[in-house]
Amino acid sequence: MSGTPALESPAAATPLLRLREVFRAYRAGPVVVPALRGVSLQASAGEVLALVGPSGSGKSTLLHVCGLLDAPDAGSYELDGRETGRLSPAARTALRRERIGFVFQGFNLVPVLTAFENVEVPLLLAGVPRRERRRRAEEALSAVGLLAEIGRRPDRLSGGQRQRVAIARALVKRPSLVLADEPTANLDGATAGQVLDLLRDLSRARGATVVVATHDARVTHHCDRTVALRDGVLA
Amino acid sequence: MTWIWFALKNVRRNGRRALLTLLIAAVGAACLLVFGGYGQYTYAALEEGSARDTGHLVLAHRDHFDGDEDLPMQHGLPDPAGLAAAALEDPRVRAALPRLELSGLLSNGEKSAVFVGTGVDAGGEFKVRGPFLNLVEGTALSPAPAAGDLPEILVGQELARTLRAHPGTVLTLLATTTEGSLNAQDVRVRGLYTTGVTELDRRAVMVHLATAQRLLLTDKASVLAVYLQAATDLPAVRADLAAAHPELAQRTWLDLATYYQAVRALYDRIFGLLGLVIVVLVLFAVSNTIGMAVVERTREIGTFRALGASPGLVTRNMVLEGLLVGVGGAVAGALLALAAAFLIDAFHVQMPPPPGRSVGYPLHLDLTAGLFLRDGLAVTLAAAIAAFGASRRAAARDIVEALTHV
Repeated sequence: MSGTPALESPAAATPLLRLREVFRAYRAGPVVVPALRGVSLQASAGEVLALVGPSGSGKSTLLHVCGLLDAPDAGSYELDGRETGRLSPAARTALRRERIGFVFQGFNLVPVLTAFENVEVPLLLAGVPRRERRRRAEEALSAVGLLAEIGRRPDRLSGGQRQRVAIARALVKRPSLVLADEPTANLDGATAGQVLDLLRDLSRARGATVVVATHDARVTHHCDRTVALRDGVLA
Repeated sequence: MTWIWFALKNVRRNGRRALLTLLIAAVGAACLLVFGGYGQYTYAALEEGSARDTGHLVLAHRDHFDGDEDLPMQHGLPDPAGLAAAALEDPRVRAALPRLELSGLLSNGEKSAVFVGTGVDAGGEFKVRGPFLNLVEGTALSPAPAAGDLPEILVGQELARTLRAHPGTVLTLLATTTEGSLNAQDVRVRGLYTTGVTELDRRAVMVHLATAQRLLLTDKASVLAVYLQAATDLPAVRADLAAAHPELAQRTWLDLATYYQAVRALYDRIFGLLGLVIVVLVLFAVSNTIGMAVVERTREIGTFRALGASPGLVTRNMVLEGLLVGVGGAVAGALLALAAAFLIDAFHVQMPPPPGRSVGYPLHLDLTAGLFLRDGLAVTLAAAIAAFGASRRAAARDIVEALTHV
């Protein structure tokens, strides 16, 4: 499905995330740099949303706010009907642990852990019992086609394989929201397409909303909807 | 995977650095154990020696320990034999030995020197105290005074040198009697001995109790030394004897062991300071290692935080790494200390004489389970505290900053 600029998901769908007039600025010495300037956005459960824009447009900041890694200076952010602005740091951490999966540009896998152990980490953090962890991690690795590489460490995997391990790690805890920051930046064209299809299909199968921040126009072809961001404002 | 397994993998991530840190912790633990083992051995030896010299409990006239005498034995213990017999009725008492302290002049006819001596029940003393005298020439006193011959005397080796005395030499003891007059007694040198302290060897003599009593014209003793079957009975026996003889003063071996107390106070300070320095070194070494790991793994920490790890969990994982290094160091240190103890015993390493003493002593490390536990815990805790300090700030760092760390 090709990307179509739109600020809101179809009215019939239930919004999983809803941002209203979100502002976020950073201070660089005496200078205040606005990153987000009144962004309003919502996405439905199961929707795959591309967030496009040039470098410095505020994509990553918006992703950080959606992922509860950063808090807006003004405006509100609701995740699954829950206003996040009043949550304590511990509650935000718990929400991230239970509901949000991340896929990073640089994969961010732990180099001393095997593919299996990397995928197991979110379940370990969530306190899932050992046997259940094993079953779910193997299932996630199988879904990304890496069951055969289960015992390999990241330095023994190709870039595409690493990103697939990262996708398995993001999805293994069955999150309702998956945030991917430039997930194809370090991959060649063919591999990037495979990874995006995988991310989209697996998320959709699990009913997870996906937000992909990218400056790669090809990514929008794999998403349900595209939102453009320029100078901290939705275009 | 478990968090301990994860910590172990992280410790092994930079093998050389981890090994160096573990070695520092191991050497630190070994030093703590060696110093501690040496201290324990010294304390135990001094405790045993002090209790053996004085007796576990010493009974005397109530003014004996603190008062001054106008005449010898003014504050003496009347009927020491009766008192000893009464004390021996208690099955917890192994021996009760009267002793008489005396001083005066010892002469070879041409030359005289001051002596400070003790009259003892030689048979009882040797039975209870074992080979407590370090004889350098001749033999010890006979168990009982020999009839028909001159009384026997043991002379400190420095005093004997002054008087050119050897076993068989006849000397004369001169002392003030309980009546204030001078009395003399010829004695035959039975042997020469050393106390281990040169200054004491210049004055020390030992004679039979009867010889001393005859010289001073008294039937009293200065003190009654009570030896127990078990040192743990001391408080109870002391209380019972105090109730039975309220007119007498009591001192425990510890009250009289001024040298032991001085050495212990000195060693406690020295070893305490050394221990502190070692623990601080371990703390800095682990802190440095974990600190470097924290910097290198900043993005990883950010990733963990993004995945839902709390700052507390991140810190706990780092502390686990510190604990692993600490436990590894403690175990390796214990093995090093055991090896050192074995080698010291195998090669019979001797310590030089302490200041003021004339004889050395065999070095030995008294490594007890308590010592292993205490020092192992100290090193492990130091490592854990260091890891906690090094990782706490990083764990609480802004997640976005951590994720973008280069």
